[in-house]
Amino acid sequence: MQNTLRKSHIIADPTVSVSRLEEVVATSEEFDQVVAQALPILLDRAAGYTKRFLRETGQWNDDIEHEKFALRWGSEYLERFLVCGRSEVPCRPLFLFDSLVAKQHSKPEPFCYHPDLLKPLGRFLDGLVARAVVSRDALIALYHHSYGWGAGDVIAVTGLNGLESQRIYKNFRRWRESGWQRTMDEMGLTKPELAELENQRQRHRQRFNGEAERLIRVAQGHYRKSEPDHYPCLSRSQWGEMFTQGYGCDYRIWHLALCLDCMQTAWGLGSCGSSAEKPRLELQVRP
Amino acid sequence: MVQEEDLELYRSQLLDSMSERPVHSVRGLSDPIQVYVNERRVGELKGAETEGTLHVHGVDHIETVQLRTEDGQLLGGVVAPESGFRANRVRLSADTVELCVQNTLQGGSLSAVFIPAPSFWRRTWNSLADVADRWTVRRSESTMAYGFRTVAFTQAILAIAVVGLVADRVMIWIAPEHIVAPTVQAEALRTASIGEIEQLAKQLRELRLMQTKVGEALQSQEKGMTLLHQTMARLSSTQESVASSVVMVKEEMEKRQEGPEREADRPAQLPPGKGSVDQEQFELAIHGLASDNERLSKQIAGLEEHNRMLTAKLQTAIAHVAKAAEQGPERVVAREADVARKHQLLPVVDSRQSAQAQPFLFWVTFSEGTTQESIDQWVNGMKGHKGVQNEGWQEVQILPPPVPPDLFLEQIRGEKIIKEARLNH
Repeated sequence: MQNTLRKSHIIADPTVSVSRLEEVVATSEEFDQVVAQALPILLDRAAGYTKRFLRETGQWNDDIEHEKFALRWGSEYLERFLVCGRSEVPCRPLFLFDSLVAKQHSKPEPFCYHPDLLKPLGRFLDGLVARAVVSRDALIALYHHSYGWGAGDVIAVTGLNGLESQRIYKNFRRWRESGWQRTMDEMGLTKPELAELENQRQRHRQRFNGEAERLIRVAQGHYRKSEPDHYPCLSRSQWGEMFTQGYGCDYRIWHLALCLDCMQTAWGLGSCGSSAEKPRLELQVRP
Repeated sequence: MVQEEDLELYRSQLLDSMSERPVHSVRGLSDPIQVYVNERRVGELKGAETEGTLHVHGVDHIETVQLRTEDGQLLGGVVAPESGFRANRVRLSADTVELCVQNTLQGGSLSAVFIPAPSFWRRTWNSLADVADRWTVRRSESTMAYGFRTVAFTQAILAIAVVGLVADRVMIWIAPEHIVAPTVQAEALRTASIGEIEQLAKQLRELRLMQTKVGEALQSQEKGMTLLHQTMARLSSTQESVASSVVMVKEEMEKRQEGPEREADRPAQLPPGKGSVDQEQFELAIHGLASDNERLSKQIAGLEEHNRMLTAKLQTAIAHVAKAAEQGPERVVAREADVARKHQLLPVVDSRQSAQAQPFLFWVTFSEGTTQESIDQWVNGMKGHKGVQNEGWQEVQILPPPVPPDLFLEQIRGEKIIKEARLNH
């Protein structure tokens, strides 16, 4: 499919593709072929639906930030459609796609919307936290981007054992090699925008981190809902029990990365010791 | 204008990234696969070179199942039906993940099985097994094929091992200069980095684990063989008794046919012969067994229905507890009091309370080399007490944990001294 897909959006004929998308496809291979020829149409369609949803919920503005937001979510839906639609054959791809988008938009808060999250800093944070929900690499990297920690610090703070530690190093390596760049590309953050963020971080450190803390709380509050239901915030004694008994590795890694308050609560329970000062948000732009 | 160009660039970038998305992901061999249900992470499939499974049961209906790599790439998935069962095979290079998702009135369940690509040795093994199988099937009775197959396997393994050892010896004789002296090894060990040593230790642990698994598999195979022999012995004795009964019935019938005159001389009200009495008794016994079987089937069906109802009640109670925990203790107490007043304690609340009053039982096995002292410490730490021991499994009773049983067992398994944990023995 890869060869078929590559650059196919340049030569696709919209009229032919749409009519083909309305016909029944019988096999997964046929599904791949038909959809590959209609990626631009499907992307624009999904972006259009997202725009309409934002308009109807009073969240739309005619500017590039909102256009980018609609495109980003359109591509998100399209990605899911490409993978899950194959299991729905025989089907009419266009109708299936429409139903998938409609299903997403019928959920409460289908995406994390806040006007400030559409600006470069907000997009950066939204991208990091959204990615952390689907990627363990991004989740672990969130410790670095939030507090400036390396792999060793993450292992110490979360109190992980030997086997888990190896994975943390791997997560960091992959994030540096490709994960960070892919996330920035998906969020549409350009090189000048990233350079400006880095510049702000160096010049106005306190103001920059204050603003980042306000926005990251918005994003974390939304995306933390993606955790399993049994991952609520805990008291210090409950965290303490978990650390001393050595269970709940996943719980610790997931929740502490996505909750600034619980990080403060659980600080010092890992092998890092409680003598060090409680961590504050020190946003890092680069991996 | 610049903004439009920027937007068009972003759109092209998104399309390119989607076009370049490989169908079969490049995934590290030992990397686990993240499993998402309804876009929430529910666990991972630890599949390296061995099969890995993940089972998920929930009160909520399952809408979608997604598989992702650790870097977040979507590998595959399945859209669950509104009601009923759907299975899908997701190919990941040479490996496969089988997804089976089912939605019922009680909720949704997912079973994900990671099937690794067969290695060279496994393929060779399978080929040998096939050859051995065909050979034994042709030459022996079907009931004995299993035993011959095992013998053929063992012979093949021994042959491979011997060839391997001979090759190893020959290589050492041919190239003695490549043998590393013990002092050099020690030096290498000293200069090796911590990462390498950790990796070696990890490999050793994995090797030990594999050895244990192989041992367990052999033991279970032995048990299976013993059971098979016992079953065969029982089967042959049953066959013998049936054959003797048939012979007896035949003899009786022949007797009747041969001497009707002699029979006619006898008084008409003579009691029936031994054969016919036996036959009647057999028939009666068969009828009795059939009716018993039917009654047992009904009882089993009833019990299963009851079990389903109990499971549904338990899930509801867990959901209530989870919600209550989120809302804070004060609000929970107030709400429960309110609900109790209004509804005079709903059955769900009753079941939850009774569930909390009952001790939570589970079974564990401990890692090798774990001392009794550390086991006792662990049990004391859990604020529980030990129950009976059976085939290496230790029963443990504790107060009901605050998390669902599956998660609790998952947490238990993460502990150093615990080898395996399960609800039932």
